[in-house]
Amino acid sequence: MGQRSMISLDDIAVGSTARVQDVEGVDPTAVRLLEMGLTPGVAVRVVGQAPFGDPVELEFRGYRLSIRRHEAARVVVENR
Amino acid sequence: MHEPAGSRIDAAPLTVALLGNPNTGKSTLFTALAGIPTRVGNYPGVTVEEKVGRFTHRGRAIDLVDLPGTYSLAPQSPDEQVAVDILRGRMAGAARPDGIVVVADATNLERNLFLATQAMELGLPLVVALTLADLADRKGIRIDVAELSRRLGCPVIRVVATRGEGIAALREGMLSMASPPQPLSLAEGPLGRPLPARQAIARYAAIEDLLRGVISHEPPPGRSLEDRIDAVVTHRVWGTLVFAAVMLAMFTVIFRVAPPLMDLISFGMDALSARVADLLPEGPIRSLVVDGILAGVGGSVVFVPQIALLFLFIALLEGCGYLSRAAFLMDRLLVAAGLSGKSFIPLLSSFACAIPGIMAARTIENRRDRLLTILVAPLMSCSARLPVYLLLCGAFVPDRGCGLSWLPLRAVVLAGLYALGVVVAAVVAAVLSRTLFRGPRQPFVMEMSGWRWPRPAVVLERVREASVSFLLNAGTLIVAISIVLWALMNYPRSDAAVDADVAAGRVALEAALASSGADDPGREDWSAALAALDTPEGLAAARRGAAQRLSFLGRAGRFIEPLVRPLGWDWRIGCAALASFPAREVVLATLGVIYNLGDIDPEEAEGATALERRLKAARWDGTERPVFTLPVALSLMVFFALCAQCASTLVVIGRETNSWVWPMVTFTYMTVLAWLGAFATYRLGTFLGW
Repeated sequence: MGQRSMISLDDIAVGSTARVQDVEGVDPTAVRLLEMGLTPGVAVRVVGQAPFGDPVELEFRGYRLSIRRHEAARVVVENR
Repeated sequence: MHEPAGSRIDAAPLTVALLGNPNTGKSTLFTALAGIPTRVGNYPGVTVEEKVGRFTHRGRAIDLVDLPGTYSLAPQSPDEQVAVDILRGRMAGAARPDGIVVVADATNLERNLFLATQAMELGLPLVVALTLADLADRKGIRIDVAELSRRLGCPVIRVVATRGEGIAALREGMLSMASPPQPLSLAEGPLGRPLPARQAIARYAAIEDLLRGVISHEPPPGRSLEDRIDAVVTHRVWGTLVFAAVMLAMFTVIFRVAPPLMDLISFGMDALSARVADLLPEGPIRSLVVDGILAGVGGSVVFVPQIALLFLFIALLEGCGYLSRAAFLMDRLLVAAGLSGKSFIPLLSSFACAIPGIMAARTIENRRDRLLTILVAPLMSCSARLPVYLLLCGAFVPDRGCGLSWLPLRAVVLAGLYALGVVVAAVVAAVLSRTLFRGPRQPFVMEMSGWRWPRPAVVLERVREASVSFLLNAGTLIVAISIVLWALMNYPRSDAAVDADVAAGRVALEAALASSGADDPGREDWSAALAALDTPEGLAAARRGAAQRLSFLGRAGRFIEPLVRPLGWDWRIGCAALASFPAREVVLATLGVIYNLGDIDPEEAEGATALERRLKAARWDGTERPVFTLPVALSLMVFFALCAQCASTLVVIGRETNSWVWPMVTFTYMTVLAWLGAFATYRLGTFLGW
């Protein structure tokens, strides 16, 4: 078994994959992230980031989504 | 549209809503099903366009309502709110649909079923159109359509809109929609969060269960073409270069292809005006029709080439999927100014002309970002300002280097004026986003859709729709304003007063010649002007100038003189500036008339040099002080850079924001900033002894 650590999506390096544990917050941003499919249990791959480091491009559930870093920081993940 | 009497079996048309995520080929499907939309206009009270197309199938008329793309029926944007309102029958003036076609992207089924299963809870009959099926096949995605249909409890039809596959079946499916499906049963969802969040989690869990065994994914070996394109296009270095190239191409096309088309339109309008002028007897009616109405019509139609070209580009970029990558690359930079990545293209196109740029802001779903973008777009120095910059720079900015000998001062000033607009826009947006528009930041959650070939029908539809909506909404208002301005510039008129003014002008010229030294640079022009008064054309030009000065507009120019003195201007400049509030491009021609050059064309070399000479020779009334010094020229240019001198732009802002408040706000803040900027420039310039 690998190490299990609670970190957020914006800590994940480009090219790596992580599994979503939860999305923090109760505001529309949190709801929208969940509605787009970032629900607990989903495997997310960090595909890349924009030239200035923000936003980041994610791949999960068969499609690609870009969100800002401070939004990615809400997604609690565990390292695979 | 009249259907043949025999087809009127069921009198009322069936209303079917087309619901789906963005980027699912919904527009292509709409065009394949219903062709060109029959209604163009906004839903009441919002800036969301209503798109309805009618077609008949087996004798029954069907109204297909294209709902704005939405990710969820828990709306977070005005577009999504409209979709929900229509589906629930809460939209004023729009009937509740009799049924729904949910467009689901086969390459992205899990997320698309999120919306589909939500739609199943509305109690309306429903058909699922599984689009982009060819793309799914290529990606190695296999879907058992029959099983999916059985598990969902509603018909699922495989569709490839671009090939017409499944279209007939879909039309049939719409006619035979009868009872609403049974909604998917959801678990409670984890407690301790808001309901939409719990439901989202429960819904995806249910969808995963449902799709088990229905869908399989065997991607073909090797990296897909799409992935390889993406790797370049979103790369830190290559991506930025590609982006710069695309933007440059777009900008260049608009700057180069549009003007000849615009000239063609102007030429046509001039020919038409000449014909009409021949037909009508001389007098106020002819002047009204030719200088007021036709000028107004020409003045709005002339924008169509730029609008059409810009929307052509946007539709192509959006259709192929590049638009989201462009927003992705630019986002961080624009966030610093309180905007977002999607503001880039509207703002960039505003450098050509703010009108298509402001219309392009429709691609920004976030209402706050869209409004901010619209409010600062006019600060991007548009092409109408360029002739002013060029003439004044050429005439009054010394032709030398600055520090670095190879860098001409004139180029620096020109670049500085453009930069001024950008910097002020960034500051205004940053300030507004922290004060007036402060609020919870909406999520920047943007799908990076797969790369596709843009569909020609959809692209052309976008272009057609943008052009038509501009002409109908904004064009009519522009004509009305042109008529009002025509009146202000031509009345009151009195031949006696004009004669007196021309005579006074002659006296002033003679006095200037008599009192100036032999080597005064103005002498050449004054003698020329005096000689011109003795020619019929020269006299007519002088009379025209006098008439303009005595009109409402001219008097207004004198009236505001105290306001423009601090900027270093005399009342004639104030007059020209005032006259250019409706359309800044007339300022040079207006200066020409005011300074008695008659109808010169400042964009042609001859007219430009004549104007330059005349301006250089201009003196403050009764003195020998030149009016146009470098600080004055600079302050005039800064004023033009920052001022909202385009009634057409204000009209379009009003139409795009569905309110007259925002045009007024734009006009006010820009005029204030322009005045302050011109003041500061003039004072600084005189202080530094430029």
